[in-house]
Amino acid sequence: MAGKDKVSLNVAPGEAVGVVAAQSIGEPGTQMILRSFHAAGISSLITTKGLPRIIEIVDARKRPKFPMMYVTLQSSIAKKYENVRAVWREIEEVKVSSVLKSFSEDLRAQTMTLELDKEKLTSYEITPRFVASRLEKIPGASVSQDENAIKVKIKREDMKSTRTAFVDVRDASIKGVPGIPKALVQQEADGRFYITTAGSNIAGVMEIEGVDKTHVYSNDIFEVMRVYGIEAARNLIAHELYDTMSDEGFTVSFRHPSLVADTMTHVGTIKSIGRHGVAGEKESVFARAAYEETVKHFTNAGVFGEKDMLRGVAENILIGKQISVGTGMVKLAIKKDDLKNVKAKE
Amino acid sequence: MGERKCYVYLDGRAIGFVEDGKKFAEEIRKNRRVGAISGEVNVAYRKGLNEIRINADRGRARRPYIIVENGASRYTEDLKEKLKSKEIDFNYLLRRGVIEYLDAEEEENAIVAINKDSITKATTHLEIDPAILFGLTFNVSVYPEHNSVGRHAISANFIKQSQGLYAINFNARYDARAFVLYYPQAPIADSVAYRKLNLSKHSSGQNFIVAVSTYYGYNMKDALVINKSAVDRGLGRSAFFRTYSDEERRYPGGQQDRFKVPAATTEGYLGEHAYSKLSDDGIIEQETPVAEGDVLIGKVSPPRFLEEQTSFGVVEERSRDNSVTLRAGEEGVIDNVMLTETTGATKLVKTRVRSVKVPEVGDKFASRHGQKGVVALIVNQADMPFTKDGIIPDLLLNPHSLPGRMTFGHMIETIAGKAGALSGTHFDGTAFSVNGKERVDMYGSILEKYGYDKFGDEVLYDGRTGKQFNAKIFTGVVYFNRLWHMVSLKLQVRSRGPVQILTHQPTEGKPRRGGLKFGEMERDALVGHGASLLLKDRMLEQSDKADIWICKDCGDVGYFDFVKNVPVCSNDGGNNLEKVEISYAFKLLLDEVKSMHILPRIKLKSE
Repeated sequence: MAGKDKVSLNVAPGEAVGVVAAQSIGEPGTQMILRSFHAAGISSLITTKGLPRIIEIVDARKRPKFPMMYVTLQSSIAKKYENVRAVWREIEEVKVSSVLKSFSEDLRAQTMTLELDKEKLTSYEITPRFVASRLEKIPGASVSQDENAIKVKIKREDMKSTRTAFVDVRDASIKGVPGIPKALVQQEADGRFYITTAGSNIAGVMEIEGVDKTHVYSNDIFEVMRVYGIEAARNLIAHELYDTMSDEGFTVSFRHPSLVADTMTHVGTIKSIGRHGVAGEKESVFARAAYEETVKHFTNAGVFGEKDMLRGVAENILIGKQISVGTGMVKLAIKKDDLKNVKAKE
Repeated sequence: MGERKCYVYLDGRAIGFVEDGKKFAEEIRKNRRVGAISGEVNVAYRKGLNEIRINADRGRARRPYIIVENGASRYTEDLKEKLKSKEIDFNYLLRRGVIEYLDAEEEENAIVAINKDSITKATTHLEIDPAILFGLTFNVSVYPEHNSVGRHAISANFIKQSQGLYAINFNARYDARAFVLYYPQAPIADSVAYRKLNLSKHSSGQNFIVAVSTYYGYNMKDALVINKSAVDRGLGRSAFFRTYSDEERRYPGGQQDRFKVPAATTEGYLGEHAYSKLSDDGIIEQETPVAEGDVLIGKVSPPRFLEEQTSFGVVEERSRDNSVTLRAGEEGVIDNVMLTETTGATKLVKTRVRSVKVPEVGDKFASRHGQKGVVALIVNQADMPFTKDGIIPDLLLNPHSLPGRMTFGHMIETIAGKAGALSGTHFDGTAFSVNGKERVDMYGSILEKYGYDKFGDEVLYDGRTGKQFNAKIFTGVVYFNRLWHMVSLKLQVRSRGPVQILTHQPTEGKPRRGGLKFGEMERDALVGHGASLLLKDRMLEQSDKADIWICKDCGDVGYFDFVKNVPVCSNDGGNNLEKVEISYAFKLLLDEVKSMHILPRIKLKSE
């Protein structure tokens, strides 16, 4: 065992770590309420919590139901609220629709008249000019602006695409990071400010001046994998599992969620636990058939002539052999026939 | 929206409008009370929707209320006297508009006072009796208003399960299962509903002397300690009856079952001994003691499959044993035998087996307040705690069972029972009939009159050491029911026994002498502990171990030919096979996989 670190030595060889992890997470999981109530706080964002969140992680959903980020700021500005506020303004996405007072559409003339809300503009610190300049980026749009009124003329071939273009105008992003409809400035106990966001866009936030690029946290596992890599995603899975459990008041040893994260990511991509992931890609035909979709696995095994080497636990319990876990791992090094040659000392 | 007229619905169908809905409803009620409109009509005015709903259809749950007018009940003292002297009856009050029935919808318009004192100007109705709010089932209980709500439902469940005198003609009945208490008693404290239902004539419990005390840890966690001498005197003793019945069924082809002592040549013959208690007609006699394995009704049936014609041409009359035997683990005496016929004109036999069930360790008892317990120890009277007067409790209830469950009714019953036992009277425990404090004071004064502590506490002495206990102990009389969950009907063990034909695994359930399931989660626990040999023992050795011959050439399953004394491969006919120890369930799986046209081959490797 030379060269192994101390932690790995804490587990005896042949220990069924997977079953122990499953039981250690599963048993308190039975006590978790399926729909836990999240307190409707003013300065907190909605995130999935409790059992639904654990299911979300373990199923490896492409995107969480409520993605969110913690954005740490560079230490030079993190303590000055005004500077943090400026960063926040860069992050929260402002759409045309959110500064609109009213609008009218003229499909025949292919023009759209927007009337902007002055109060909303000032609160976001945007000028009507700025809005107009953004709208000009829409392909085929010619914009004329007069005070708070903006006229957009769009050249499209038919009426239907004109309609969709009108919707695009209202949906157009004026400023901020795309995919972040809401952001909040919050304060750490030591006085430093940080920003939490609803919606996740790590790459977008990283480009903003004042953001500490090395400390952006997102709960979107797949995005973390794309931006930071698989190791970061593994850590995220482990910590998100651990944190959701401890939030519900269950103390689980970190090694259990850690093992789950390892099994989900050790191939380099994120795999779900279950039929479409880890369990469905087991080597043994019997182990897969014992889990779900029995007939499918047997027919495929028949068609492709699969071989089952009977190495795993499930297969060996099925045929009635001693399983190679725990006490069953130990094998005699001397062969039976060789024993005959051994002579006892007189 | 301007002023809308008030919609009127009759039995859910809109029939018109009125100007003032409230007035209209009052008008209907006024007419109903004088008898101009049927008393079965109910009207409700929905203020928020401004609509009238008149209901006169069937299927509405309705209950009676006393009408209150201008803050005065219409049920006057005068009427009360007349009703008492039977000059008038309930229907008179209904006709005279003193009492009316309301349905759920009209009740929404009513303001009901729970008793006379709480009538205000706004009150429209008065509850006939405040106890009515509990309904009939709970009112059978005593002091329900002092118990936690959840305990009521639990208590009602226990009363359903209690043993007693369930029917006076139990001797003439052939119930599948029946329990009859030897010495049922009427409770000292009962209620109006209990008396009206005449339940004291069919009572299902006994008055136990109960001390709220521990006993060397033997009554922890709802366990009970009972007095052996009390049991010997007949406390909780009951008779258990079970009916076994069978009929001579007719089969297509003119064959039919026959009641008789089966011949030794019969298929499935259970051995001479099993039939020894049958009389010549194949049916057991009255008052015969029977034990497990004894046949009660001897019966032979025709074979399941039609006989093949033999070469001799004559088919030998073969039959199959189909007798009724006493259930596994039971014993008793034949109480009665009945011979009759079914509607299909076939013979029908019913035999009833009786056995005495003396309370033993593992039997269940419950009071009327949802306080249940299982007997954990039966103590000699000499070792039980006793008072200076030599009163020895029948039952010791753990004090921890009271505060958490909040069954104050149980405690009030304890002193009520004690006071009743001393003064020789019954007490009324109808809900809300007396204020709680007055009640306790009344019982307390009776206790004091007889020289006892007014709170029911007693100085007790330990029967084992003779020493006085440091604390006074709450002692009294509580009505307890014996419930029909008894160990003697549940206890079951298996070391060897029958297996299922299909899987070769042990059977399940008590009637099949089955084992206890070693399930998925239990399996996971052993895997988690790495106990591989114990797991193999459970899943293979003690279950469906099988020796299977496997062909070394083709990998298919073969068999052993005991005539030629060689193993044979059923696929290629070769003799090059190896005996392999596997679970029979796996062999079954291979067979099923083969049945879906997939040929599994097993390649053997020597260890």
